[in-house]
Amino acid sequence: MNTTTDAPIAAPATPVAAGTTSHAPAIRIEGLGKRFGAAGPVVLEDIDLTIEPGEFVCLLGASGCGKSTLLGIIAGLELPTTGTVTVTSGSAAVMFQESALFPWLTAGRNVELALKLRGVPRADRRAQVLDLLDLVNLADAADKRPHELSGGMRQRVALARALAQDRKVLLMDEPFAALDAITRDLLHEELERIWRETGRTIVFVTHNVREAARLGQRVLLMKSRPGRIANEWRIDDTGPRRIESPEVSRLSVEITDQLREEIRRNAS
Amino acid sequence: MLPDPSTTSAAATSTGATTPAPASSPHDEFRRLESGLDALQTVPPTERGPFRRALDGVLPPVLLLVALVCAWQFYTVVAEPRPDLYPGPLNVAAAIGERWADGRLQQAVATSIARGGAGFLIAVAIGTPLGLLLAEWRLLRRALGPLLSGLQVLPSVAWVPAAIIWFGLTDATVYFVVLMGAVPSIANGLVSGIDHVPPQLRRVGTVLGASRSQLATLVILPAALPGYLSGLKQGWAFSWRSLMAAEIIAMGGSIGFGLGSMLQQSRELADLPAVLATILIILAVGILVELVAFAPVERRLLRRRGLNPGAHR
Repeated sequence: MNTTTDAPIAAPATPVAAGTTSHAPAIRIEGLGKRFGAAGPVVLEDIDLTIEPGEFVCLLGASGCGKSTLLGIIAGLELPTTGTVTVTSGSAAVMFQESALFPWLTAGRNVELALKLRGVPRADRRAQVLDLLDLVNLADAADKRPHELSGGMRQRVALARALAQDRKVLLMDEPFAALDAITRDLLHEELERIWRETGRTIVFVTHNVREAARLGQRVLLMKSRPGRIANEWRIDDTGPRRIESPEVSRLSVEITDQLREEIRRNAS
Repeated sequence: MLPDPSTTSAAATSTGATTPAPASSPHDEFRRLESGLDALQTVPPTERGPFRRALDGVLPPVLLLVALVCAWQFYTVVAEPRPDLYPGPLNVAAAIGERWADGRLQQAVATSIARGGAGFLIAVAIGTPLGLLLAEWRLLRRALGPLLSGLQVLPSVAWVPAAIIWFGLTDATVYFVVLMGAVPSIANGLVSGIDHVPPQLRRVGTVLGASRSQLATLVILPAALPGYLSGLKQGWAFSWRSLMAAEIIAMGGSIGFGLGSMLQQSRELADLPAVLATILIILAVGILVELVAFAPVERRLLRRRGLNPGAHR
């Protein structure tokens, strides 16, 4: 019924998680269900999920399996019909498929707005903006407007903006789906590096099997109608891996086979 | 499957032995790679100089105007029509000069612009909060929206007789008519500007932790600005038109001498060159206000958002 987000604007460093035990999960989802309207179709059913701090989790599924809805519920943008979602650190940062940068602000000002809404004093903002943009290798583009940037650069500004929120949990809704393969490949590397540097918990929604196999420590496969978690893979973290590597290929084949099986079930 | 990436890159840069790459960390390599892709994907802007831009904007209409006047003068010289019915450009120019010399033209232009400007500003002051209320308060919008759209269609000159009966021949009559013309356009412009704010931007604002008032001032209003501006432009057009209509119909009393009054006075004297001269001046003031006040603001606003008006070649 309720999305438990204690202290929504709490400072990210509040040691809620660290203070209790060393084993408080970053996100806990229990018995979650969602339907749109009283008589609408069941979109999500019986989702139980625990995500540990610092994990990189990929939510994978065909269109319409409710993976974006699940992300929206974790983000607090939508309410679940049944069950509870607890984000231990408070609220989460979110990044969407479209960069959704404010077109009237420069790249730097877009990032700065996130700092401003977080309550960072004006004097500290400028330096932090440059640090954040430098993290995504765009310090030179601070004065550019979104329309002057390429799609990949816009997504990196959006990533910097999401990092500016300084939440422990970062939710990403198919953030690279609209990019070309070369740019996407680079952004995978960028994101992985930032994940390792900042230790954030990332929930990454995608319909791209290879992307999930490339990025995730855990890959959750969802089945459709109603959306449920069908299977889960844990991948040993042996450092950065490339999307062309044999282990990613092997895993992709395995996941794709099961994904196809799930899709076949929907044939009448 | 692809072969080992290191061997492919070595094969591809087999001539690289002569140009050794600078030693750098993998992270620097990555940054260079990313910067290279960024450079490939962004097109450097082909900005034309301000002089060239002004020339491109000014030359075509000026040339057309000169051509039209020449054709008109040519017709009067060749066909020699009755000058009181078909005056030539020179007669019209003379009429303008005459009114300039005795100061009536300056007085009329000043009166009309002052009144039009004041009326427009009052309309902005009323229309803006009204538009905000309509956009945010659904019930009010359902009730008042259709009426406001109807008022936008109703020619505001229709209010002149009623206004004269209510307010007599005073400035209040003129302002009333101007407001009835301009307020609906401005309010509707703001409403449609707010309606067209992409829902994604609101979601981002919410995700970033904006309060209701922060969402309105930092996200929704800036996003609605282009729609609001086009509402303002239309509002000015309605102000100016309504003003002229009011000045033509309502003359005398404490109403000053505006361009509309000058037009009506010339008609009573059956002075066609003066009538045409006044029409041209009314037209010129309208164009000038658009060019000086609205066009630069709109161009800047749209360019900053990457929406270049008329940029497609």
